[in-house]
Amino acid sequence: MKLRNVEFIIQESFTGIWRNGLMAFASISTIALSLGVLGAFVMAALGATHFARTQIGQFQIAVFMRGEANRSRTDDVASQIRKMTGVGSVEVRDRDQEWLDFKRQHPNIDSAGLPTNVLPYAMDVKVSDPNKLPTIASKVRVLGGVDTVIEGRETFHRVMAVAKVVSIVSVAGAIMLLVTTAFIISNAIRLTLYARRREIRIMQLVGATNRFIRLPLFIEGIVFGTAGALVAWCLLRLGSMYLAHAVERITPLLGRASSGVEPSALAVYLVITGAAIGAVGSMVSIRRFLTD
Amino acid sequence: MIHLENVSVEYPNGVRALKDVSISIYKGEFIFLVGSTGSGKSTFLSLLYRGMLPTQGKVVVDGEDITSLKPSAVPYLRRKLGIVFQDFKLLPQKNVWENMAFALRVIGTDPREIRRRIGDVLELVGLTHRCDSFPHQMSGGEQQRAAIARALINHPTLLIADEPTGNLDPATSWEIMQLLEQINVRGTTVLVATHDSQIVDRMKKRVIQLEAGVVVRDVNKGMYEHCEA
Repeated sequence: MKLRNVEFIIQESFTGIWRNGLMAFASISTIALSLGVLGAFVMAALGATHFARTQIGQFQIAVFMRGEANRSRTDDVASQIRKMTGVGSVEVRDRDQEWLDFKRQHPNIDSAGLPTNVLPYAMDVKVSDPNKLPTIASKVRVLGGVDTVIEGRETFHRVMAVAKVVSIVSVAGAIMLLVTTAFIISNAIRLTLYARRREIRIMQLVGATNRFIRLPLFIEGIVFGTAGALVAWCLLRLGSMYLAHAVERITPLLGRASSGVEPSALAVYLVITGAAIGAVGSMVSIRRFLTD
Repeated sequence: MIHLENVSVEYPNGVRALKDVSISIYKGEFIFLVGSTGSGKSTFLSLLYRGMLPTQGKVVVDGEDITSLKPSAVPYLRRKLGIVFQDFKLLPQKNVWENMAFALRVIGTDPREIRRRIGDVLELVGLTHRCDSFPHQMSGGEQQRAAIARALINHPTLLIADEPTGNLDPATSWEIMQLLEQINVRGTTVLVATHDSQIVDRMKKRVIQLEAGVVVRDVNKGMYEHCEA
């Protein structure tokens, strides 16, 4: 294709957008809103999954040794637990520090006749695979010197169930929303094409090749998709910043709510989705026009 | 120039727009295609620029059987033709000059060539002074002149006009017809579909009359209505 044709096509794409300003605005805002809703949903779903995962990471087993077990016995048990599969880390608690804390919280301990450290040795076992938690707990329970094992099974099961529901719902929802978004966007593009059918008809009548008709509209579709994606990104950034602050204020214990998605990565995903939908949407709609 | 051999067109809804039409039109002729609404005039014209394909028969334009043309070759057929419609089909957001330039740019013409050709063709149709005007700022006659100028810009061998004066008053219609005749004198074959009996009677050209998809009359120096003596 000759350079002057390329120049003309690019020029036509942008004057087309400029002159059909209202139509362009309508398309871009439709794309922005649809991608915004899709993005918000995906972010919320990722956030929920992320949250569930971090909660799972915190599942641990507390192991308390018998009163008579000494430090070396405890270290021995700790190294046995470390060798089990599915165990992330084992940390023996600092018994002296715990005693000091205990005394500080209960200042009248001395008067109660407990002058020396009566706390048993204890350790915290973190699991790398939450599904193995019950097995590990029962294995630890039979090790020599171990008195009590606390595994928080109830909470574990509840959180796992919630995480499962969240991931199923979010995958199904994301697919449905993606289909809807693609439909809404291709409809918006079809409308802009409809507004320009006169131009397309004239191009056909004066003998423009289909490629020549298609290219400016194709570029237009990509520009609309990208612009819409960028607007959607701004909306999502503002929305998620506001939400994060709100969550932090209401429940400080949860810490900063996060979807685990970097803002720059989000922008890239959105722009790619927007541009792709714009390109495919305009191609499909143009094909209909050109076959008439 | 144009040969139709046993051409029939049947629309998907079962309407037979043309029935076994065979006709020849020669280079340099000026022809009126007449007939009442629904007689098949527009179908006839759109066959010539591959606006549609016949159900049966052969359509030869400028020595080429265009029924067997590949879709990708259709634009190149249209570049040899000039097409004018009742509703002008000008781009409302572009002025006269830009409308002309658009027609040339979409087929990849060199900008210097574009400037030269637009100047020539606007002079021919008498619109040089209106080149900056937008369609809505012009009269119907001027808009049709602009549309004719655009149709002529590729030096077509055949000019097809579908009811070119349908939206114009009699005086303006007559001016447009004189312009078409002038174009014909310069060597372009001109084919005009019309309802305008006064013009047909006054111009005394070859008249082809269609009724219900059949050619019922084909006479030189004809009148709009067939008069039994």
